[in-house]
Amino acid sequence: MKTASALALTPARWEQAASHFRSAGVPTRRVEDWKYSDLAKALGDTALSEATASWKLGKLPAGVEMFDLAEANAPDWVKTHLGSLKETTLSAASLAFADGGVALRVTGAVETPLTLEFSGKGNLRALIVLEKNAALTLVENLSGGEQRNVGVEIILGANAQLHHVRLAPAAAGAIQIEEVAMTVARDAVYTAHYASFGGKLSRLELDIALEGANAQAHLSGVSVLHGDSHADITTRLSHAVGNTQSTQLFKKVAGGKSRAVYQGKVTVTQGANGSDSRQTAKALLLGNQAEADLKPELEIFADDVKCAHGAAVGDLDADSLFYLRARGIPESDARDLLIHAFLEDAMAGIARDDLRDQVRTAVNEALAS
Amino acid sequence: MLEIKNLHVSVGGKEILKGLNLSIAAGQVHAIMGPNGSGKSTLSYVLAGRAGYDVNQGSITYNGEDLAALPPEARAAKGVFLAMQYPVEIPGVTTMMFLKSALNAQRRSRGESELDAIGVLKTVRRKAAALNVSEDMLKRALNVGFSGGEKKRLEILQMSLFEPKLAILDETDSGLDIDALKLVAEGVNALRDPSRAMLVITHYQRLLDYIVPDRIHVLAGGRIVAEGGKELALELEAKGYDQVVKDAA
Amino acid sequence: MSSAAIETKETVAALGEKYKYGFVTDIEMTRAPRGLSEDTVRYISAAKNEPDWMLEWRLAAYRRWVQMKEPNWARVHYPKIDYQNAYYYAAPKNTPLKQSLDEVDPKLLETYNKLGIPLNEQMALAGVAVDAVFDSVSVATTFKAKLNEAGVIFCPFSEAVRDHPELVKKYLGTVVPVTDNYFATLNSAVFSDGTFVYVPKGVRCPMELSTYFRINASETGQFERTLIVADEGSYVSYLEGCTAPKRDENQLHAAVVELVTLEAAEIKYSTVQNWYPGDENGLGGIYNFVTKRGDCRGDRSKISWTQVETGSAITWKYPSCILRGDDSVGEFYSIAIANHYQQADTGTKMIHLGKNTRSRIISKGISAGKAQNTYRGLVSVHAKAENARNFTQCDSLLMGGNCGAHTVPYIESRNSSARIEHEATTSKIAEDQLFYCQARGLGAEEAVALIVNGFCKEVLQQLPMEFAVEAQKLVGISLEGSVG
Repeated sequence: MKTASALALTPARWEQAASHFRSAGVPTRRVEDWKYSDLAKALGDTALSEATASWKLGKLPAGVEMFDLAEANAPDWVKTHLGSLKETTLSAASLAFADGGVALRVTGAVETPLTLEFSGKGNLRALIVLEKNAALTLVENLSGGEQRNVGVEIILGANAQLHHVRLAPAAAGAIQIEEVAMTVARDAVYTAHYASFGGKLSRLELDIALEGANAQAHLSGVSVLHGDSHADITTRLSHAVGNTQSTQLFKKVAGGKSRAVYQGKVTVTQGANGSDSRQTAKALLLGNQAEADLKPELEIFADDVKCAHGAAVGDLDADSLFYLRARGIPESDARDLLIHAFLEDAMAGIARDDLRDQVRTAVNEALAS
Repeated sequence: MLEIKNLHVSVGGKEILKGLNLSIAAGQVHAIMGPNGSGKSTLSYVLAGRAGYDVNQGSITYNGEDLAALPPEARAAKGVFLAMQYPVEIPGVTTMMFLKSALNAQRRSRGESELDAIGVLKTVRRKAAALNVSEDMLKRALNVGFSGGEKKRLEILQMSLFEPKLAILDETDSGLDIDALKLVAEGVNALRDPSRAMLVITHYQRLLDYIVPDRIHVLAGGRIVAEGGKELALELEAKGYDQVVKDAA
Repeated sequence: MSSAAIETKETVAALGEKYKYGFVTDIEMTRAPRGLSEDTVRYISAAKNEPDWMLEWRLAAYRRWVQMKEPNWARVHYPKIDYQNAYYYAAPKNTPLKQSLDEVDPKLLETYNKLGIPLNEQMALAGVAVDAVFDSVSVATTFKAKLNEAGVIFCPFSEAVRDHPELVKKYLGTVVPVTDNYFATLNSAVFSDGTFVYVPKGVRCPMELSTYFRINASETGQFERTLIVADEGSYVSYLEGCTAPKRDENQLHAAVVELVTLEAAEIKYSTVQNWYPGDENGLGGIYNFVTKRGDCRGDRSKISWTQVETGSAITWKYPSCILRGDDSVGEFYSIAIANHYQQADTGTKMIHLGKNTRSRIISKGISAGKAQNTYRGLVSVHAKAENARNFTQCDSLLMGGNCGAHTVPYIESRNSSARIEHEATTSKIAEDQLFYCQARGLGAEEAVALIVNGFCKEVLQQLPMEFAVEAQKLVGISLEGSVG
């Protein structure tokens, strides 16, 4: 059982989370949402760990307050928000089992990026609150751990801005799951880039609610997978009110016997007129043992909206390949160039040059291997 | 330099070139004119080595070598350059990066030393200025968002950079207004050289006022049906393709 | 919101309740006893004089069905169906089959006339062969002679079971296996009738084949079973068009359609559906749970599904193609209109197995009132499906702020040379489009009809000419101006 930490929760709340997970159980492919990511199969005989994993924060810049969730006597802002957002089966598990994690609160506009690293085996929780007008760039790194389940809650206050770059390096044989639940208040903006290089089963789930006018979410991501890797990005983006905006751009390259998955559901609530949502998901398969599964979903209940999505799986463009070769570039180099080019625009959403370079380097390394 | 004998080419199972003969020597500028659907683009693509253009019969000899046996990148390294009618857009690849990769790939193939980034940049900048290709265009993704004229100018810039021995210009004038046309023509004329042959493919006579050919061939129904000097262009203009083809028959 | 848009919404709200075809024929019927059991299955088989093998097939299906659970994953909600509370077989007393229309009960003919299919006229002018199914039994089949000449078999399913058992046995259940899904299994046990078509090698069927359906007796589920086989190098175009009368009890319609194309054959299957959608309060209406699938077995074969769905309280159908043969082609063109309280969850599955296969999906969904319209599609490319090509375009038009339009595409590819492209858009009728039309003299309703038809044009163009006009009218009627 848990120690006397902020995550001990009230007995009622703990019971709620624990029973949510227990009754739903570890998802199999028969659960629609996990259709392409059979967690039960990946775990095999191993149970979902009930241990607590580790986290590490980079140098804390001014304007950011931190609370260690393993400690008792949590401040009000932690008590109010922890465990308050939308819960899924796995985030219920992380809430029930995690006995540690980090809470961050940003009150000002912070220039220096903050790095947050998750490592080890087990569960973790994170809570990130940006108060009105606050701004932060968060760089999330994952490392090691054969099995990890991280539940994150993010609350963006009015006019707050969060830039989030998440780097999940290839973790052969590892099961890494992260669920992020988020609310975005009016005029606030969430911009994120997720670079996933796969694992035995790696899944990032995002539940984003745009709850105030002019709230925005712009998501992008790249995946380069080899061998037996699996990487699943599942987003559920809700335009709860009108005049909100969202864009999603995901590019994946799957080689070997890997599997790249994208499920992106966009919901526009009744009356949320003026919502604007675009989604693009594209995958390139290298070799005939890789698989791409794309499911961009639209659930629209308001009529005065602009919603569109596109998805494509294919090979490199023949015209482009010919153009490069006709100018002297050998075929394999031309293919490489085009594969890099294919992933490039998904990285354009990363505002900071240094972070973009970091992601690009990781991509180049993954492509070279 | 280029000897095409009895060339039969089919695309998608359909025969487009039906016994084409053509001979071009170094230092010469030849023009190929023809109505739409006559096979002009097919000729340019088969010379550059595009997949899907199958040589069923005949030969293409380039400086004594069988060109049809070589992949496109090898032909480029040996000095064949095709300025395309519809240059492709490649998002994610900057123009500058592309020029450097292509130039050095060709040099490597020929056993020459590669140029470093600074070297390429200097050379490119110099040539770009002459063709009105802006610094901005060099930084942007290849051809993405370029106007028709900009795309054509970039093609000529590449021709200037790669210094080909056989330059094939496929309807370089299409979509250009007079000013753009003049600029492109100047660029092409500046590259005339006794060691270089050019094949200018065009539908309209207008371009040939600016790039004056030594010889004109009329392509119709997949083969050359008439030949002549530069005056043939004016005759075509006056009579139209149908008539000239009929006269030749 | 501009007055033009409000006016249109109100107009839309005023539509549709006046269901043109809402009437009942008073003809005596024989019915199987209410409920579903093995005895019901035997009753049906006996009433149709079926050979033993057919009865055994039905019984095996029934025994399977009782062990299955009804699916609940589609985005549709309906009151639990009481399978025991319905009649599974109804035959008008005027059977057996007549040789010519002169022998048919004049009341029936009157029914057909009311339905807008004056058979005499059709026979004489349009040259369309009509196999009219009156509830669960086929009553008249025309133009047999001409088709016989071409060697085309076009007859009620029950007749095919008796006269062409070897063909039926060879193909039945090979495209939609008995155990495929809950409703298909139910259908396999209690199917009443339907159409059987066989087109011999190299024959281009000389005319469009069509079937009109009607559900009359209350609480009678309609379980038609259709099997169309196009032998090598043949071509057939088949049209299925349905109407149904007003009823308060929900009526279940669980059909199964199987199509098979052998080498270089082609089947064009068009559906213009006009089932009773339920009244303005969402009461009554047909439940349309249909399994339709085509197997492009032969190389270079082609199956194309075109549908205009404007009725049913609930629609659950996914006409699909299995692209087995190399160079085979599958197409799906659909207009689905949901108004008032209708719920539609429809789409297609394109399964690419062979090499160089191609599929094309154009889906146009229109939602109005409080309706929910969902497109659900699967494009699946298997590892050996070299050079597979798919293009999908799903567009949704929302009319009013109380309805919903949903798109759920599944794209699964296991082959690196395949190319799959999917695009979807959701929008409403643009105010400036409406204004432009009205500024040129069109009334609001006409403007909407014009714009909606434009929205649906790509699909309407796929329909056989004779029915394209009716479909166009249907699209307009479903959304604008009440019909008296």
